[in-house]
Amino acid sequence: MSVEPGGKPPAWRRYLRFWGSDVDADVADELQFHLDMRARDYEARGLPATDARQAATERFGDVHGIGGVLRAHDRRREHRRQRIEYMSDLTNDVRYGLRAFTRAPAFTIVALLTIALGIGATTAIFSVVNAVILRPLPYHESDRLVQVWMDNRRTGLKEDLHSWPNYADLRDQNRVLSNMAAYVTGGYNITAGCRENECEPRRIGALFSTHDLFDVLHVTPAMGRGFTAQETVPGSDGVVLISHGLWTGLLGSDRNILGRAVRLNGRERTVIGVLPPNFAFPNRDTDVWVPLAMDEDLKQSRGSFGLWSVARLKPGVEFPRAVSDLTTIATRLEQQYRDSNRDFGVHLVPLPEQVVGRTLRTSLWVMLAAVAAVLLIDCANVANLMLSRAAVREREISVRVALGAARTRLIRQLLTESVLLSVMGAVLGVGLAWIGLRVLTGLAPEDIPRLDQVAIDLRVLAVTLGLALFTGLAFGLVPALQSSRAAVGSALREGIRGGTQGRRAQRLRRTLVAAQIALVVVLLTGAGLLIRSFMHLQRMDLGFQPDNLLTMKLSLPGAKYATPESRFGFFDSLIERTRQQPGVQSVGMIGNIFLSATPTSTTFTVEGREMTPEERNIEVPIDAVSPDYFRTMGIPLREGRTFTATDNLTAPPVVIINENMARHIWPNESAVGKRFKYGRQDSDAPLMTVVGVVADMRRTGFDSPVRYETFRPHTQRAVGFLTLVVRTAGDPLQLVPAVRAQIKAIDAEQPVFEVASMDQLLGSMVAQRRFSMALLGTFAGLALVLGVVGVYGVTSYLVAQRTREVGVRLALGAQPGQVVGMVVRQGMVVAAAGLVVGLLGAVAATRLMTGLLYGVSPHDVWTLAAVTVVIGLATLAANWVPALRAAHVDPLTALRSE
Amino acid sequence: MRSETGDLLQGTLSILILKALLGGAAHGYGIARWVEATTDDVLRIEEGSLYPALRRLEDNGWVSSEWGLSENNRRARFYTITRAGRAHLRAEASVWFRYAGAVTQVLRSSPSLA
Repeated sequence: MSVEPGGKPPAWRRYLRFWGSDVDADVADELQFHLDMRARDYEARGLPATDARQAATERFGDVHGIGGVLRAHDRRREHRRQRIEYMSDLTNDVRYGLRAFTRAPAFTIVALLTIALGIGATTAIFSVVNAVILRPLPYHESDRLVQVWMDNRRTGLKEDLHSWPNYADLRDQNRVLSNMAAYVTGGYNITAGCRENECEPRRIGALFSTHDLFDVLHVTPAMGRGFTAQETVPGSDGVVLISHGLWTGLLGSDRNILGRAVRLNGRERTVIGVLPPNFAFPNRDTDVWVPLAMDEDLKQSRGSFGLWSVARLKPGVEFPRAVSDLTTIATRLEQQYRDSNRDFGVHLVPLPEQVVGRTLRTSLWVMLAAVAAVLLIDCANVANLMLSRAAVREREISVRVALGAARTRLIRQLLTESVLLSVMGAVLGVGLAWIGLRVLTGLAPEDIPRLDQVAIDLRVLAVTLGLALFTGLAFGLVPALQSSRAAVGSALREGIRGGTQGRRAQRLRRTLVAAQIALVVVLLTGAGLLIRSFMHLQRMDLGFQPDNLLTMKLSLPGAKYATPESRFGFFDSLIERTRQQPGVQSVGMIGNIFLSATPTSTTFTVEGREMTPEERNIEVPIDAVSPDYFRTMGIPLREGRTFTATDNLTAPPVVIINENMARHIWPNESAVGKRFKYGRQDSDAPLMTVVGVVADMRRTGFDSPVRYETFRPHTQRAVGFLTLVVRTAGDPLQLVPAVRAQIKAIDAEQPVFEVASMDQLLGSMVAQRRFSMALLGTFAGLALVLGVVGVYGVTSYLVAQRTREVGVRLALGAQPGQVVGMVVRQGMVVAAAGLVVGLLGAVAATRLMTGLLYGVSPHDVWTLAAVTVVIGLATLAANWVPALRAAHVDPLTALRSE
Repeated sequence: MRSETGDLLQGTLSILILKALLGGAAHGYGIARWVEATTDDVLRIEEGSLYPALRRLEDNGWVSSEWGLSENNRRARFYTITRAGRAHLRAEASVWFRYAGAVTQVLRSSPSLA
């Protein structure tokens, strides 16, 4: 403190008061004044000046201490005062803003709806991203969970399954996992909920796991207990844990369910626990968890792959270290067991990523980006609206400036208005989002995990609030700066003449429009690419005729249908009875796999020639089909014959392969009559004669390549799991009751599941793509409309501003066509700038979409050309209409108008 | 501290300040001088504590302050008693009178000291 007796505070201190009171200087002044006065009095009594000051200071006491106390006190009080003032200013601004809105209802409604739409759409999509991606899985520290796969370099399948010995070695030798569980998924025919001997057999999803699965996941059953190690020994495994859904549904919420038995595939198992309601591992379709009781010889077979595995990282172990540790073990196993493990590695995926696949993640993020772009376009529109309104309000603002409002104060007030507007829009938007989410989750494909948990929760609301503040500032800041500058600069002079915003404002509007167009271009390109991908998929030749096909699945319980003969009997009567139904043209069945992503596969060995190393590593799927399968599916036979009833267990083993395999394995010669066996050279599988070659078919989905295929007659390979395929004359779904009745007549306890027409099956395979396409298409359409509205609005406004100029031109003899040309040309220059920036942006942005595209390059020229044409036409129209209107004003009216 | 009557109680200081301000707006030094003059220097205000006391009174809404020019044309902070301050002074004064009366009565009772 500068309280030297008689000293003066430095001059610059005084300028601080310009911004508000300067607390420190005030305290110093007050105390100094006191000391000076006291000293003066002492002097008057005759003391020399220096002594007088000395005495005054002494009499006062602790000058520094008291000054400090006063400064602290005054600072606190000053802060409080400022806060109160700010709050009261804010209340005033809000009140003032609300009044301004009621004075301009049309502007307010349009702006509110625009904001509500943008924020609502963003909120809705963010709620989906939040529920599906961001929210942790319902397991303790779910980010420490990893799915462990076998990286199969022979087939290129990174997510292949383990054999038990490999799993056991990985589990026992690693130093990075606290535990590691193995499991197999499957299904059960359940017989429960019977009333008066009338049971509706049902198919439920099952999971067979090692006892520590629940330890890995850190989940404890809501009732009862998990498995013990003892219960995974074959023979002691007659226990089951059930899902909350099964318990409350089929089992009627029986409080005494523990210890009761349920019949699964005809075998009784004791219920030992009920899992919590939100437990859904590995998916929502799983209703029972059973101990994985593997036979000893299967546990010894390093070449039998079929186990999934999930593990928990040890505390402190990071993901990359876990990968390298397990890879080391896999490499060691590769060297140790050349035959079974060559080219096998490990592949780890964090469980949250596994549950929500990469494609879905990408498409959700793309959606969020798209909707954010829509919001930005929205902001630009509202900013333009605000600019137009600012022009109208110029006079009002000028008056405020003239009355002494500071520019900062004015900006604050204008920003308060725009944030107020955006917050009100956001409230509406949350309502829209709520409605939108109902629609969205209703239309979304069922296989999006955790979609049922989508909700507008606190995190979503926080983001919405953030969006509201952001948008309020985004569309409010520039107009606020603009109009406060104009107001302070031109004050009343220009304002009174009716407001002419300068070139600056015009340039600003044009920049906003160009930015809008650029964003629209990016969105349209993204949507266009998805549409092109989808069209590619739709046009793809699947290799069979999918219309008028009914499919359903059956699983014969091993206990009931133990012998091949009993299964053949079932198949024969099933096919025969179904064929006799009216409206059925033909009936076929196929074993294990159908439109499946992970078929059971094996290597094979050709008779009579040396296999190349590549050929030795090829794995072919094994399948069993009935004689009429190919005819029913509409798969043409290229060569040889199909199976007949005589291809049975007593006849020589036969096989049908697809064209792709025939062409590559027996090039330049007929495959018919050639022989091969499953397994390697030393395999004791029988040699099979190729009797026919069928056309290629994409059986593992639209976007996967054609593979090799081998089909066995179902009468030589007695499968227990099958898909029935029925070709019908009319709507395939009409036949469902009749076919079900036949199955019930053969075996009343036999459930059928996944009953669907082929069109439905194929539809569900592309459902996610269709959904992404529809959503992105909607956003792009919305963006286009908003963008056109923006262009139209700005051109109209700028033209209206130039009414007088146009009038002069017309009066001087300009043709209306010239005026139209001039206006349109100016508008199109802006549009072209936006288009160029947008195309560059699209080329950069769509690279992120590569995983979502099919058969289309992210830089697809046709899409970019189409977008250019659409944008060109749309902006041309949006400029033309206001230009025409401008050109047809009466010159005299135009000149008089101001 | 050098006061002949010992330390002034805080409440007493408030009373003195408010009373001083009844005569009109005054700066801190003016208040100190008025108290000295009125009590013939018997009650000497502890000058250091005068200003914090003024802040307390201001916080309570009993006095208000503003910057002005002093008699010798210097920038000084002037304090004014508020309506609430007058009411407070009246209440405090009546308490003081009753207290002082009671103490006087005790001291005057027999056996007399004098």
